[in-house]
Amino acid sequence: MCSEISNTRTAKWSTYAIAFVITVAIFATALYASNYFQNRRMAEIRETQENISIDILSLETQFDLLTQRSCEDVTESTILPSELRTLAERLSYMESQRTTPRDDLLRLKRFYSLLQIKDILLMKEITAKCGLKAVTILYFYSNEENECKDCEKQGYVLTDLGEEYPQLRVYSFDYHMDVSALQTLISIHGVKPELPALVVQSKVHYGYKNQEEVLDILPKMEKLDSALAD
Amino acid sequence: MEIGAIIAHVLLFIVFYFEVFLLVSFIERQRSGTRDENATASYSPSVCLIVPCFNEERTLAATLDSLLALAYPKEKLEIVIVNDGSTDTTQTIAKRYTRHPHIRIFKKANGGKHTALNLALKNTEAELIGCLDADSVVKKDALARLVHAFQNPRVAAITPGIHVHTPHSFIQHLQNVEYRLAIFNRYAFAGLGSIFITPGPFSIFRAETVRKVGGWRHGHSTEDMELGLRLQEHGWLILNEPRAEVYTSAPRSLAALIRQRIRWNYGFFKNALDYRHLFGNPRFGNLGLIVLPAALLSMFAAFFFIGRVLWYGAQELAEAWIRFNAVGITTPSVDPFFINTSTLILTVYILIALTVVLIALGTRLSTVRGFPPLATPAFLVLYGFMVPLWLSASLVKAVLNTGVSWR
Repeated sequence: MCSEISNTRTAKWSTYAIAFVITVAIFATALYASNYFQNRRMAEIRETQENISIDILSLETQFDLLTQRSCEDVTESTILPSELRTLAERLSYMESQRTTPRDDLLRLKRFYSLLQIKDILLMKEITAKCGLKAVTILYFYSNEENECKDCEKQGYVLTDLGEEYPQLRVYSFDYHMDVSALQTLISIHGVKPELPALVVQSKVHYGYKNQEEVLDILPKMEKLDSALAD
Repeated sequence: MEIGAIIAHVLLFIVFYFEVFLLVSFIERQRSGTRDENATASYSPSVCLIVPCFNEERTLAATLDSLLALAYPKEKLEIVIVNDGSTDTTQTIAKRYTRHPHIRIFKKANGGKHTALNLALKNTEAELIGCLDADSVVKKDALARLVHAFQNPRVAAITPGIHVHTPHSFIQHLQNVEYRLAIFNRYAFAGLGSIFITPGPFSIFRAETVRKVGGWRHGHSTEDMELGLRLQEHGWLILNEPRAEVYTSAPRSLAALIRQRIRWNYGFFKNALDYRHLFGNPRFGNLGLIVLPAALLSMFAAFFFIGRVLWYGAQELAEAWIRFNAVGITTPSVDPFFINTSTLILTVYILIALTVVLIALGTRLSTVRGFPPLATPAFLVLYGFMVPLWLSASLVKAVLNTGVSWR
């Protein structure tokens, strides 16, 4: 007797081909799904940035009207610090995912830096004209290898503080980001490439600072509390 | 894309392709209904079952009892116990069974399992010869299910469906899942004419063929693999009957499992070297073209993937440590934005799902009913991390040619 099993030792090419087609189809589906989710992430970030951009434009318009209207009409800011924080976290995640196209990511980061600078300037003017007490920190970091071993840690400390004090405004900047407005901001404050660096009330503080040390360099707690209460 | 990611994608594609290939072959085989259904049920050739023993006082009696309970004509069955130089009470226990006329005992100086098997081969006139390690038991109908295959003159051997005997420890439960996957793989390999291991627990051979190819050899302490490869080299067929069930004692502890697997993998590396002319050789059909190369590649893929997982895992841990030092314990983000959906990760998820399907099929192929074992999720998560433990040790031993011991 010779069963069919005994004749299957030789390669049946159709089986190899079918398996190959199925494997390619599965990989193609995974690739498509991955790209789809990646594009959705990018779109989400773009949408958030657009919203912030509109908020800034609205703030600018409000500010222009200030000459004719009173400070009471101006809210402290239309951009919530939590929005900036979420955006920063998402950009940081996209950066850690090596699959994100570098050019797209760089464009998003540049835009993010510009939005932050714009917000700083507006907040400064509103604070001066309307006497608002804003508490801001400019944080300069670097992603370059071996340049700033404490930047990651400093980032966690500032994120945590931002969550604890919801109206504390932390603006974070990649020191080496090729944005002329950012380089101007760096030179105005005279920030040297000794990172991490924090700018609080125009004074630059270098090196890692834990939560207590950051709170120490901020306006005193009661002032911070009152600023948050305003 | 970095070079590591390219290698990962290529390896994953090959591993995936192999699993899909086995599944497609399995489906084709099921659809063509080639499960030896046309064999004559009354076929009962003479069979010699060898029980090689080296210090098996704890398990020998159960093994012999299960052989005596086999539903097979007694006048056609011969059981040969070969005491391979045991220093415990194995001989005394074996002697208790000499009251059965079809049981014989041979005692010899310790020389290794292959010498025990060859001694029995030399002293039997049975048409078929099989081996049952003294740590295994068989189901009543196992032999009757296996012998039918030998009506095909091209068949040299047949392997059973091997299960873990009453798993107790966590490690045994993990192996229980692994054995179900192996049941599927062995069945699929048989369909491709590519079984290259004839396991110790109850593989049955055509005695004349084994003699023709030169009997059992040391085979780097894996005589079952060496003989399987040799039979394949000579063009013989090795089949599989998953419904013929054998229950074997699996290592209870991780240390014992590592010892066993070092021996198995050492044997694979060394035998692969001895039989390297089979690899990639179309003359040996599916075995040479896909099964052997995939088996070898999967071992290196295991190294690569576990290395990669450990590397990225260590980075994550370092990051978590920095975060903990900076701000203490924080609540992890639940934002779906941060879910990893890279092609590699998505493909791994699909591969895991496919593996579960193969485990389920392995379960269905045997007479065991129900779903895959409960330890399946633990197996999928943990087993991959255990593999490099014995793979690395066996590779080093194979390179240094140190040899491995049975125990």
